[in-house]
Amino acid sequence: MAAQVPAKTRKLAGVLGIRCSLAIDDRPAALDFIRLLSRDFGGDPDVMFVTVHAYSDLSARTALDLARLAPQSMAAHKLNAEALEEQGKWEPAELEYEEILKKHPDARGIHFLLGRLLLSRPDGGPDAPARAKQEFLKELEIDPGNADAEYILGVLAQRAQNFDEAITRFSQAAKLDQNFAEAYLGWGVALLGDKKYEEAIAPLKRAERLTPRNPDIHNALATALVRTGHKAEAEKEFAILRSLSSTNHSGAPAGDRPQ
Amino acid sequence: MDQVRTARLTRRQFVSQMIASALLIPQRPLFALTTATQFPFVVVPPEADGIKWKHTSGKSPEKYLPESSGPGCAFLDYDNDGWMDIYLVNSGKCDFYNPNPPLRNALYRNNRDGTFTEVTEKAGVAAGGYGQGVAVGDYDNDGLPDLYVTQYGKCILYHNNGDGTFTDVTEKAGVAAPGWSSSAVWFDYDNDGLLDLFVCRFVDFSKELNKPCGIHEDGLRHYCIPTVYRPMPSWLFRNNGDGTFTDVSTESGIASQLGKAWGVVATDINNDGLMDLFVSNDTVRNFLFLNRGKGKFEEIGEVAGVAYSADGRARSGMGVDSADYDQDGFMDLFVANLDRQSYSIYRNNHDETFDDDGGETGIAAATYLMSGWGLKFFDFDNDGNLDLFLANGNPDDLIDRIHSQVTYEEPPRLFHGTGKALRNISQQSGPIFEQPISARGLAIGDFNNDGAIDVLIGVNDGAPLLLRNTASAQNHWLGIKLVGTTSNRDAIGARITYQAQDLKQSRMKVGGGSYLSSHDPRMVLGIGKRPRLDWVEIKWPLPGGKAERLTDLPIDRYITIIEGQGKWT
Repeated sequence: MAAQVPAKTRKLAGVLGIRCSLAIDDRPAALDFIRLLSRDFGGDPDVMFVTVHAYSDLSARTALDLARLAPQSMAAHKLNAEALEEQGKWEPAELEYEEILKKHPDARGIHFLLGRLLLSRPDGGPDAPARAKQEFLKELEIDPGNADAEYILGVLAQRAQNFDEAITRFSQAAKLDQNFAEAYLGWGVALLGDKKYEEAIAPLKRAERLTPRNPDIHNALATALVRTGHKAEAEKEFAILRSLSSTNHSGAPAGDRPQ
Repeated sequence: MDQVRTARLTRRQFVSQMIASALLIPQRPLFALTTATQFPFVVVPPEADGIKWKHTSGKSPEKYLPESSGPGCAFLDYDNDGWMDIYLVNSGKCDFYNPNPPLRNALYRNNRDGTFTEVTEKAGVAAGGYGQGVAVGDYDNDGLPDLYVTQYGKCILYHNNGDGTFTDVTEKAGVAAPGWSSSAVWFDYDNDGLLDLFVCRFVDFSKELNKPCGIHEDGLRHYCIPTVYRPMPSWLFRNNGDGTFTDVSTESGIASQLGKAWGVVATDINNDGLMDLFVSNDTVRNFLFLNRGKGKFEEIGEVAGVAYSADGRARSGMGVDSADYDQDGFMDLFVANLDRQSYSIYRNNHDETFDDDGGETGIAAATYLMSGWGLKFFDFDNDGNLDLFLANGNPDDLIDRIHSQVTYEEPPRLFHGTGKALRNISQQSGPIFEQPISARGLAIGDFNNDGAIDVLIGVNDGAPLLLRNTASAQNHWLGIKLVGTTSNRDAIGARITYQAQDLKQSRMKVGGGSYLSSHDPRMVLGIGKRPRLDWVEIKWPLPGGKAERLTDLPIDRYITIIEGQGKWT
């Protein structure tokens, strides 16, 4: 029966249905209309535009619900902190995270978010990396299985040229999450920094299997292979790297002269 | 089902932001200097040196890319009077620019009293095309420095007649290198005692090929990122010894690599006596052309670890240099890049591979937001250790509108060498290191013959900056002019080792380095407060190749050492 109704009419009905259901705050109905429109007109730019606004509206309404119904909850503070971070309001965001920790000192993930905030703010000051490191270490005390915290500690150690710690941190992150491609990459790069070229090959090959189109990995793996005498294998990696970074400009042939 | 995890935490934006924020930490002065007179470099104003010439880029609404890349400059002693003269390159007439009145390059003769007199017209070196850079070399071994001017269009070879004039011999020599040429270097790749010529070629460009790209969020047209233009092969010309050259770009292997070359330095990375070439490319990987002998070069940049950034990406390589900064007997490499790419200092591992020491030396952090062009390793305070001077400036004259932390004009940077490492001393080194400029070329030379190496900076759309070095007064030195007889007369590729009490140092006379520029051919050996030089040993380049050790040397003056004579004059 729906097929007998012209597509233009069905599309218009769906769009108006979203608007009406949002006007009366019938969120399940709005979601139904979104689902139907997406199914029948998924690639239509007008439909996508309306859908974006509808999801945005639903998101804002749910956030307001959270603020109204559970303003002191951990989720409310966390959402508020995220919004403040997006706006670059670093100090109020930090206070929100600290508020959570006052009430829930063992809450998982909050020290990590605090550490990430400290590293993200452009005015963090010279001690920001050290303060952030403390937050990541606290996170690991609460949640020793937090691969993210291990990874960032690895990055900080790498940047400080502390290859031993970087190797430990990255390898632990990879152990905690065996699909953490960038942890394997960091592990391999730290081993390269420590001139342990042979040892770097295995984690880098694992990283390559996980994300074969990441040029960072091919460069690092090629370097490890070159330094261990595997020149033919290295050349394959460099060829992949070149193909990934190609700008599709063929260039002039050798010896060609300009007009 | 296993899912690859990359995005949850490690999104590139977050990591790069955290790196950026950490790098923006203000640096504290390492030591305090109390008076302006203690600053190592002082700007010599035009009214004091008499250099009234200014560079004009001809900036247009169409944003033709060559407008952003010049100019180069040179110290040379064109009249062989023992005092460094100055050559400055300007833009000029081409298919997209027709200045009225016409623009010209400038040659300034050193009056030996701190002032200069322009002699361009008499010398006949005004050029007139859209100039980029200059390479100075005595290609015919007559003891007179000749000039090779690179241009967008075609290049010019000026032969020095020895009477204060030059003759344009480009056509006869066969070195016009049409297209867009940038840096060039004289060096003897085949060790026949004659200087050959390598010319960097940038992209395939013309008025018709100019792209209307670069519209950013400010709605204005910016200079294009060169990814939109085709890469081109560079040029290698073999010197035939009769005033002509043969284009050997293809048979040497040079032309097999398509690049977008800005900078070049001729050096010997594996101590085999054959001069290699390190070439920086913009948005294409850098090249390290290893000279395998018999006229052949092998490009080993990737295998050597100098082609890409640490994360495997081609950067915008611009200025380059080579020096044994850590004094381990092997030549290291340096390349300056665009903002948010960091510059790299590549330590030689002695096996034709390199590691980037940008992090350890602090160079990566200090240059993270900068764009580097002219640069040079030299011992500015004559304490015996190599230091590093960097001239900077973003190529996009509208960058300030779209980036809050990057500026068009940028201050130079100075790193002090300790013999094993480098330390950023820009903040306590005086006003010039706080002065934003649009620097491009950089040449080093001792224009007042006091043994302190001065600096000349080419400024895009501005007057050149001559910086007088005041840092060496308390230290002793010996300046040496090397004259090859069997080897090339300029002694490019010679290695000097010297000992003064506990100080033992080694220097190679590289070909070129920096960007679009050419340097004082003399070498100044600093010995700090030590009262004498015990010995100096010169290992002459091939085909000479012999080592000569000299003792009983004077200090605090310049001498000449002629190959094979075993003495100084």
